[in-house]
Amino acid sequence: MGVHFRSFRSRLVVVFLGLFALIQAAGYFAVTAFVRASARHTVAEELRLASTLFARQLDVRTQQLVAATRLLSGDFALKTAVATSDHATTASVLENHRQRVDADVLMLATLDGRVVIDTQRPAGQGAPFPAPRLLAEAEAGRDASDVVAIGPRLYRLAVVPVLAPEPIAWLVAGFAIDDRAAADLRRLSGLHVSFLARRDGAFVVYASTLDAADRATLARALPAARAAGVLDLAGGEHLVRVEPVGGDVVVVLQEPLAEALAPYDHMLLILLGVAGAGVVLALLGAVVVARRVSRPVLTLAGGARRVAAGDFSVAVSVPQRDELGELATTFNEMVGGLRERERVRDELERTAKLKRFFSPQLADALSAGDESLLASHRRQITVVFCDLRGFTAFAEAADPEQVMRLLHEYHATVGPLVFANEGTLERFTGDGLMVFFNDPVECPDPAARAVRMAVAMRDAVATLLAEWRRRGHALGFGTGIAMGEATIGRIGFEGRFDYAAIGTVTNLSARLCQEARDGQILVSEPVYAEVESLVEAKPVGALPLRGFSRPVVVFDVLGLRPQPTAPAASAATP
Amino acid sequence: MAAALTAALTLPSSSLTAVGAGPGDLEAIVKDERGKPVADAVVSLTSPATATRPRASPALMDQQNKEFVPLVLPVAVGTSVTFPNRDNIRHHVYSFSPAKRFELPLYIGTPAAPVVFDKPGAIVLGCNIHDWMVGYVYVLPTPYFAKTAEDGKARIADVPAGAWESRVWHPRLRTETEKTTTPVTITAGEPAQVGFVVTLKPDRRPIRRPTYEGAQGG
Repeated sequence: MGVHFRSFRSRLVVVFLGLFALIQAAGYFAVTAFVRASARHTVAEELRLASTLFARQLDVRTQQLVAATRLLSGDFALKTAVATSDHATTASVLENHRQRVDADVLMLATLDGRVVIDTQRPAGQGAPFPAPRLLAEAEAGRDASDVVAIGPRLYRLAVVPVLAPEPIAWLVAGFAIDDRAAADLRRLSGLHVSFLARRDGAFVVYASTLDAADRATLARALPAARAAGVLDLAGGEHLVRVEPVGGDVVVVLQEPLAEALAPYDHMLLILLGVAGAGVVLALLGAVVVARRVSRPVLTLAGGARRVAAGDFSVAVSVPQRDELGELATTFNEMVGGLRERERVRDELERTAKLKRFFSPQLADALSAGDESLLASHRRQITVVFCDLRGFTAFAEAADPEQVMRLLHEYHATVGPLVFANEGTLERFTGDGLMVFFNDPVECPDPAARAVRMAVAMRDAVATLLAEWRRRGHALGFGTGIAMGEATIGRIGFEGRFDYAAIGTVTNLSARLCQEARDGQILVSEPVYAEVESLVEAKPVGALPLRGFSRPVVVFDVLGLRPQPTAPAASAATP
Repeated sequence: MAAALTAALTLPSSSLTAVGAGPGDLEAIVKDERGKPVADAVVSLTSPATATRPRASPALMDQQNKEFVPLVLPVAVGTSVTFPNRDNIRHHVYSFSPAKRFELPLYIGTPAAPVVFDKPGAIVLGCNIHDWMVGYVYVLPTPYFAKTAEDGKARIADVPAGAWESRVWHPRLRTETEKTTTPVTITAGEPAQVGFVVTLKPDRRPIRRPTYEGAQGG
């Protein structure tokens, strides 16, 4: 039962704690999700902003490049050299001008799109210009600039006409977009920058701030990413933004999500700590509450257990004013009821026990009062001994049913007379019966009561004897009464106690009973002295009795004298 | 056009007799393919039979308000052209055209020596300090030419009667001038008529953006 209640308590704790932990976890995950979403949003916004700035920067650079190229194209010496087809001079002028604007390449193309001079490849004369679309743009009078892959490198090219004053050739200036340029942009924006172009349906990385492995990953993953998306690179998840920068070239800006999440790590750590502390506090609170709830339950259980073991003195103490308090009160009331019933039952049981020895009245008095009356003591008592003459012979001859029926009739006749005279029935011994007076409750006239009872018994038994004689059983009834001191008290052992009187007086009364013939009530002299005025008696004389050194003076009570007033008789009537 | 040219080249000598019959006029009209009149086109007449000696009277190509005026100056071979600068800043006139390569480095006023255009052909004039300044001197091997006005019309007067080849040239002409050759017969009295439909390239001259100075100068 204790285990069950402990588990009830632990269940309570577990449910409490579980709910709290669930709420904490939900809160934590909600915040985490929010933080991640927020970080993503922030990064995406940064990327968007960066790409806007980037595009603007590229625009500005393009414009600067176009402007610078246009300035170069206006140079009269260049015009002169070109117009006069002075190839060596033109090449020299171009190299000079390339250094002036710090361009990576300067080219001169004919109006029909053939490369005349390429500062990077002096031998590449006569090859078709790699970006004919640009020439068409320039021909249409527009600012012609684009990102173009030439060999393994990307260039931002600007094309302007050499005017003399009509177009006589195309001047092309280019800046390489290489890893260094990407690194410059990274310094500017703090973002990873990669330039890719589509070659035969696949993306090729031309320049990047990423390492080789990430370049390959990026090239593979890029087709899946749209204008903005998430890519899984070496450094974890990266948010990317893809911007076309001209032709089939795109620039990809990336920022690792971890970088954006880093500032939130501390916050999440604090959040986790708070949640952990909350769980610990909730655990303590749950234990306290569970204990408070379970303690009265345990108290009640303990009480119930004691009641089950037969202890009705239990009164559980539950101070709460709640349902459990009410339950405890009800429990106490129930135990009170049980206790009362037990008490009543005990009393009845005891009274029944007492009634074996004492008159019902005395038994009630005894059971209501204390049992000290039954403690060992010495007292002057009057003892009545009576039995049936010829019973032993009868018992031997007769069948058991007859014996028992006769005894039953006999006892039913004499028993009530014992109680009627408030005598104490010391014992039945088959046909024999020993009753004494003045104990355990003292009375003023023990001898008189004894004699009156003896007379009444004799008269009542006489009727029975007549009946039995008619049935052919020759039986008689004799009585002996003596008076004297005796030791009285409870004898026996646990489970079988008797209330017994021990002393000469009992022996004497037994002897007198033996001496008595049928119908005789033999009393000792002291008894007679007490009842002389009440009875008709005749002296029998001094009888030598076994066990007594001197003869005992004995009287035979013939009957009771008629009484004007009968206080004893009224007392004898229940 | 080629057929017309062939026809002109195989004209019978009878046409020569007509020359002596007194001079006549040619009225030409030049339009683009959409029927829009083309100005500044030069229509000329040449005769393979007559070695016409061009008159070489001096001509002027002004620079006014940082523009060449006129835009197109047709002259006969051997003409001396002076380039008077009427602006208060210097100009640097140049030409890289094969027909006449020259340079008048930064000058103001009228240069002392005129430029003599002794070979036929189109000469594109530029100014080294003003990108938008473009002018054309069109040198013809014949004294019979005229420039179309805004209405696309030109009139060549006092042309000896006879069989001629007419051609048109324009700075933005897509085809070669040779291919525009059209035979005409000039007679005294009624002017001969010729019409050209030409295709022009888009005007790609550098745009002169308005400046404070320019705006003030109107």
